[in-house]
Amino acid sequence: MDYFVTEIDRAGTVAVDDTLLVKGFETKAGSHILDGFVPLFSADAVDRLLKAGYAVKGKTHTGEFGLDIAGETSYHGVCKKADGSLSTAAAEAVASGTVKVALCVDVNGAPRRGAALSGVDFIKPTYGTVSRYGIIPTACSGEQVGVCAGNAEDVKELLSVIAGHDGKDGTSLPAEKYGYSSDKDISGMKIAVVKELYDAAKDEVKSVLDNYLNKIESSGAKIETVSVPDVKAYATAWQIMLSAETCNNISRYDGVKFGYRTPTYKDIDELYVNSRTEGMGFTAKMNVLYGSDVLSKNQYLSCYDKSLRLRRVASEKMKEIFASFDAVIAPAMSSASVEEYDLAQTFERTKKELLFTTVPNLIGIPAMVTGGVQLWGAAFAESTLLSIAGAVERMAD
Amino acid sequence: MKYEVVIGLETHVELSTKSKIFCSCGGHSEADQPNDCVCPACCGMPGMLPVTNRHAVELAVQAGIMLNCKINQYATFDKKSYYYPDLPCAYQITQWFHPICTEGYVDVPTKHGTSRIGIKQIHMEEDAGKLVHDDWADVTYVDFNRTSVPLIEIVSKPDFRSAEEVLNYLDKLKSMFRFGSISECEEGAMRCDVNISIRPEGTEELGVRSEIKNMSSLTAIERAIKYEVARHIDALERHTEVLVQETRRWDDMKNRTFAMRNKETAADYRYFPDPNLMPIVVDDQWLAEIRKNMHATIGQKTAEYTGMGLSEQDIASLVSERTLCDIFDAVVASGRKPADTAAWILTDCAGILRRNGKVIGELDIAPEALSYIIGMVDEGKINRGVGKKVLSAVIEKGVSPEQYIKEQALDAKVDESAILDIVKNVIAENNKAVGDYLGGKTKALQSLFGCCMKQLKGKGDPAVIRELLEKEVEKLR
Amino acid sequence: MTVEILKALESLNEFRLTDSEEQKAMEVFGFMENEAEELRSIDTENVDVMVHCMPMTNVFREDVREQPFTREQLLEGAPEHSEDSWIVPRLVK
Repeated sequence: MDYFVTEIDRAGTVAVDDTLLVKGFETKAGSHILDGFVPLFSADAVDRLLKAGYAVKGKTHTGEFGLDIAGETSYHGVCKKADGSLSTAAAEAVASGTVKVALCVDVNGAPRRGAALSGVDFIKPTYGTVSRYGIIPTACSGEQVGVCAGNAEDVKELLSVIAGHDGKDGTSLPAEKYGYSSDKDISGMKIAVVKELYDAAKDEVKSVLDNYLNKIESSGAKIETVSVPDVKAYATAWQIMLSAETCNNISRYDGVKFGYRTPTYKDIDELYVNSRTEGMGFTAKMNVLYGSDVLSKNQYLSCYDKSLRLRRVASEKMKEIFASFDAVIAPAMSSASVEEYDLAQTFERTKKELLFTTVPNLIGIPAMVTGGVQLWGAAFAESTLLSIAGAVERMAD
Repeated sequence: MKYEVVIGLETHVELSTKSKIFCSCGGHSEADQPNDCVCPACCGMPGMLPVTNRHAVELAVQAGIMLNCKINQYATFDKKSYYYPDLPCAYQITQWFHPICTEGYVDVPTKHGTSRIGIKQIHMEEDAGKLVHDDWADVTYVDFNRTSVPLIEIVSKPDFRSAEEVLNYLDKLKSMFRFGSISECEEGAMRCDVNISIRPEGTEELGVRSEIKNMSSLTAIERAIKYEVARHIDALERHTEVLVQETRRWDDMKNRTFAMRNKETAADYRYFPDPNLMPIVVDDQWLAEIRKNMHATIGQKTAEYTGMGLSEQDIASLVSERTLCDIFDAVVASGRKPADTAAWILTDCAGILRRNGKVIGELDIAPEALSYIIGMVDEGKINRGVGKKVLSAVIEKGVSPEQYIKEQALDAKVDESAILDIVKNVIAENNKAVGDYLGGKTKALQSLFGCCMKQLKGKGDPAVIRELLEKEVEKLR
Repeated sequence: MTVEILKALESLNEFRLTDSEEQKAMEVFGFMENEAEELRSIDTENVDVMVHCMPMTNVFREDVREQPFTREQLLEGAPEHSEDSWIVPRLVK
């Protein structure tokens, strides 16, 4: 299986998504419009890896600008599982042992879905702990670089390398380093199951989650069910922001400065329109159109401004839950596998999947996928998530 | 019918920072060639993130203080989207929801007294790049040197009633900002959008407004206003056209305005808060610091210099240029007398510059050097003439005054016997002048004095020379 | 959403959809309108906007000039460029 859109170093043990810049190597974020774009510098996360002595094996295929369910919207090639169903190239590269770890940008939950589909671990840390310098931006207000690996120990090791303050990112938090652990005692922890998300998943997913809950309980953790009645509205709020920010961020790809330019144009309007029409897929265009609409004068207050207020509502609601619980557990997606489908459906299908993944992107809290389930923690509670994952993984040994 | 003109201005001023507002590239004034001051962010490449230049914020706040504005404690940056090849990201970072300053005013002098022009707001934003159109090759070249250079946009209220007020307002802003080191206000660094409408005198309701975009020359602004007013009056009285609210551009060659095509003006800019930039909170402590670090205004300097006893004319000359005040202040602070220092700068330095085809504003001298020369003269170690000679060398050749005086042995003490020898010599050689003097033409003594100075090569204390000369000549009576 | 507004949005964003894509886009807009209706039903009367999920204030860089990249490096990947500039079709005729 071809995981890589660009190979870099055969001896490397780390893969990075094609949304992270690696100096001197073509970076396209799954989009035709970035063909030929060779960055002049590397992402801060990549620099930290290299400084710590890791080598990058290659750049994994990603869905165009990360607006996919699991990599299927890439212009340059799609990775599938052995049975033909979909998963992300990064998760598959880790699952197959081709690399030990992979860095992925989580903007709509796709790397989390990939980890669930391929049976590996992925953490999206607290917003602002890993620098966003050097990632191809889609939705700056909620995207974050995360780590995919075969187990919680390896996730922790890489996350410790890439997290830390970066003055080149104005949203980077001040802490110079974060001390992560994966072996905190989880007995006595209180973990909440989100009723609305549990109910929305298919039975195959519910049984995976039930199974996981049994293991946590046997480690002495306590499980309770909580309700987040507005969780679907949170997903809509994030869809609105995600589309609006995408519209704004990818408007720079116009065939003038770098990347793809149409061969047929006679004036600047045709140069723009033909380059962008030919250079972007339908899902990217759909996000641009919707994002452009929600930012328009007539829609701004009722859509965009409303979503910014919903973000605070969601943030307060989750604070309330984390005041009494150490972590939240939920399905990572609605089903246990994704078959190929007509890509014209991507926007609506991903919107439906956002139900499960939105909250951590919307309000910046950490999320981890492990054993086919998803854990959320309060801001900076990565060690809690890593320790739950680690405890269950050690149980299996 | 008599009409009243109603004008509002949006004035863009480039701030004097070393680097751009959101990246570390130098300002475009540093650039020799197109795209000299450019980084991946300036040409729209993905991956770099904007981080605000603190000094740009401080300058914007200083401008707000100068224009009597309320400095907002909470300001944000927002994105404005539109396509044009000079805008590399297809968005401009500006302040739409929460500008840094609001509600101020400027008093503008006019022939009929002072007009107070209200300021609605001052907001910060990044500049766009520059396009150069090539007729021969039928292409447009894109230069991003100016991209992301920090600007403030000063939005006035529609308080102008004449072109004169507009021009005097712009002149006043220019001199205030130059003096306060807010902006160099060089050619093109101050650009205006002019909003014009007319209404029958005595009425309140505003007429149909046209906006003339991107004007930078004062004479063009004046002509454009005249043209627009005439066009509006024609439309109202002779029905030459139906006025619509629109954006127009001034064509300096054709001496008229043209409506801009719809696509450039009808855009929905889709403003939204920039998630990459955190809010700016100018709290009382920071505001106090900014005030403390502010250059004095022209008014404050004028009062200060009046207190020092300088003449009105000298004060006007000094405050015409920030750099002159800086040099003057430093020299006075080193202990030199104010009036004397002003004379050295405005007479001696100015004369030397004039001889070199320059103006006083171009004076570039270390205050320590000027203070040293004045000190040497004051202490009688060199005479004033030698002082001027040293000053010329310092200004023209950039030498150190101390070293120059030493090298040329200008401060060598000339003892009285040596002076006496020369004086006797001069008297012996200039019988006619001596005769004239003794015959009652007292002026003849001056020419004898000149000869002495010449032979002494400018050295020696002039008072001593004059005294000895007079004594020796009188002996011949 | 109407086809006219949709076409205006396409033009505003400098691309074109095919007829079948437009049809699909209309469906998506209809779908999102329902979703947004649900969003709007939530009371946010006394809730302020939250632009940043991890809020900070006054994040600045100092006014220091650096020029780590050369013009040649930046122009290298341009679809069309001269010695010192990017090139587009002549704008003003």
